[in-house]
Amino acid sequence: MNVLIVEDEKSLAHEIAEFLRSENFLCETASTGREASEKISINLYDFILLDIGLPDYNGLDLLKEARLNNRDASFIIITARGAVEDKVKGLDLGADDYLAKPFALVELLSRINAVARRKFNIHASDIPLGLFEMQVSARKLICNGNDVDLTKKEYDLLQYLVLNRGRVLTRQQLYEHIWGNILDDQYDSNFIDVHIKNLRKKLNSHAPTPWLETVRGVGYRISIPE
Amino acid sequence: MMRLRTKLSLFNLLTRLIFTVLFIILMPFIIERINLRQVDNNLIEKREKMISLISETGIEPFIISDTSNAFGSYNILKEEFISLEKIDTEEDLNYIDVTPRLIEGEEIGYRVLTYSFNVDGQKYLLEVGKSIQSIVETGKDIRNVMLVFLILIILFTFIADYQYTRAILNPLEKIKNKLKLVSDPALFDMTPVRTNTSDFVALDKTLCELMDNINKLFRKEKDITVNISHELLTPVSVLRSKLENILLRENLDHDIEARIEESLKTLHRLQSLVNSLLMIAKIESQQYLREDAVSVTEILEEVANEIEPLSEDAGIMLMRELIDDLRIEKANRSLIFSMFYNIVNNSVRNTPSGGRIIIESRYLNKDFFVLISDNGKGLTEEQKESLFSRFRMRNKESGEGTGIGLAIAKTIADFHGIDVSVKSGQGKGTKFTFLFPGKSAF
Repeated sequence: MNVLIVEDEKSLAHEIAEFLRSENFLCETASTGREASEKISINLYDFILLDIGLPDYNGLDLLKEARLNNRDASFIIITARGAVEDKVKGLDLGADDYLAKPFALVELLSRINAVARRKFNIHASDIPLGLFEMQVSARKLICNGNDVDLTKKEYDLLQYLVLNRGRVLTRQQLYEHIWGNILDDQYDSNFIDVHIKNLRKKLNSHAPTPWLETVRGVGYRISIPE
Repeated sequence: MMRLRTKLSLFNLLTRLIFTVLFIILMPFIIERINLRQVDNNLIEKREKMISLISETGIEPFIISDTSNAFGSYNILKEEFISLEKIDTEEDLNYIDVTPRLIEGEEIGYRVLTYSFNVDGQKYLLEVGKSIQSIVETGKDIRNVMLVFLILIILFTFIADYQYTRAILNPLEKIKNKLKLVSDPALFDMTPVRTNTSDFVALDKTLCELMDNINKLFRKEKDITVNISHELLTPVSVLRSKLENILLRENLDHDIEARIEESLKTLHRLQSLVNSLLMIAKIESQQYLREDAVSVTEILEEVANEIEPLSEDAGIMLMRELIDDLRIEKANRSLIFSMFYNIVNNSVRNTPSGGRIIIESRYLNKDFFVLISDNGKGLTEEQKESLFSRFRMRNKESGEGTGIGLAIAKTIADFHGIDVSVKSGQGKGTKFTFLFPGKSAF
């Protein structure tokens, strides 16, 4: 998939591009509104990541313009301004999602994937997890034909780890994904540990979970051979 | 408390009443004096007429020498009389006074003019009288007419006054209503109030200017927060992406992995501190909307559900006593959630294993309260004082969070007009009390 990253902070654009390329996206970057405007009028993109705090261009105007030239593109707005109106206006103008800086790269990826799934109407297939099976579309975890009883938060946590399987997720990344930014101050690594502990307890009462790993000092990872 | 126009009208009425009462008390004397003067003038006039009559015709038509010494004449109702008689005194008499007279067996009080004069060497005494009774009668009539007239004037002027002050103070009323409706200076009605009273025009103008200035300041603050957030969060964002990308590399030494995670954690502390300060600044400059209708107990349930896994893990009992509910029409749901969440989470951190936390919601004397209490270690006086301040010492034992959560909770409470107070003593636990404003405030 083709991605245009419109971001005036070049080193950030570079990091995002490097990350997305490792996930097999084709990336281009634009560091000014003019550059972005030119690229948008020439090329067609599947995704446009748009920092609306550009120095030379009103980001929301650029969004309007881009939607005219790139009708099939999906838009994810990135902003460090954190103004509530910007978010509302951006979504009103047809952006597909909104991310506040600083965000986790894996979070960006999961948003892109979610938008893509919605856009192409892809039904997530069931994912085998050892003796378990995650039925993503039904939001269910099955073991030997039995439902595993999980709270909403526990399921979300597990699903996020599963969608990023093979990759270590830090507690902060997990926390931000599930609780958002509103409880920012009260971020408590203990919080995630408690939920993982409960999750493990529930899963282990059905079957062992050697695939759910604790990476000491870093975070958690699910490793299942693909 | 009284309205201005009522006060003005009442004051006018009062001064008028005082003058009227004074007038009523003094009126009999005044009327009597006026009456007497008129009567006296009348008597003097009559005397002059008599004297000129006598000087024209001589004394004979009235007093025939040797046969009679006196002359007297009354009108029919004995209200007036004139008498003339010879006297033998040396002194000249000329005065007016009141004397009773016996006329045909009836004693009547008269105002009498006494005057002596000489004709042909003989001294005569002239008396002209008018009965007091008739004087008093006319006085009474005048007084009654005046009383009725005064009462009518007072009534009429009071009504006129009241209506006039109402009309003239109407612009002030409008300005007052404009102020009453304003919760946000940006919403102030800038259209000038119609009036030709220069004071009100000045007042209205000053208020508009004031609101305009406040708006400008708010906008400026808004811009500053936006700019600061951009300036601070962009470098954090760059660093974070770089570190995350490194962490994603395969075959990374575990020691390096752990160090990078450690750096990410530190970076996150910076990020949450900036975000928290921004959140407070944004709430204080009214950048959050209050457009949600929320149920307080619903939010408390949600908070309790969120915290329960944590409290269970810490061996703390989390009890709910949600007796009454309050619906707030104009609130920001996520902010209210954060407020309670921060307080309950704070309690969990400060309560040892085996303790308990109670979340209560109920009405007490028509006021709605939410109480969050724990039986943890409590606070020292010093801690209590700096509890809601932004740079409180971080909890050294747990080391998590920026310690700004309570300041956020307080800011959110202020934003919604909720009164929050804390009661605590060392070893006695801590109790947070939220008092919600009356229904009209929402």
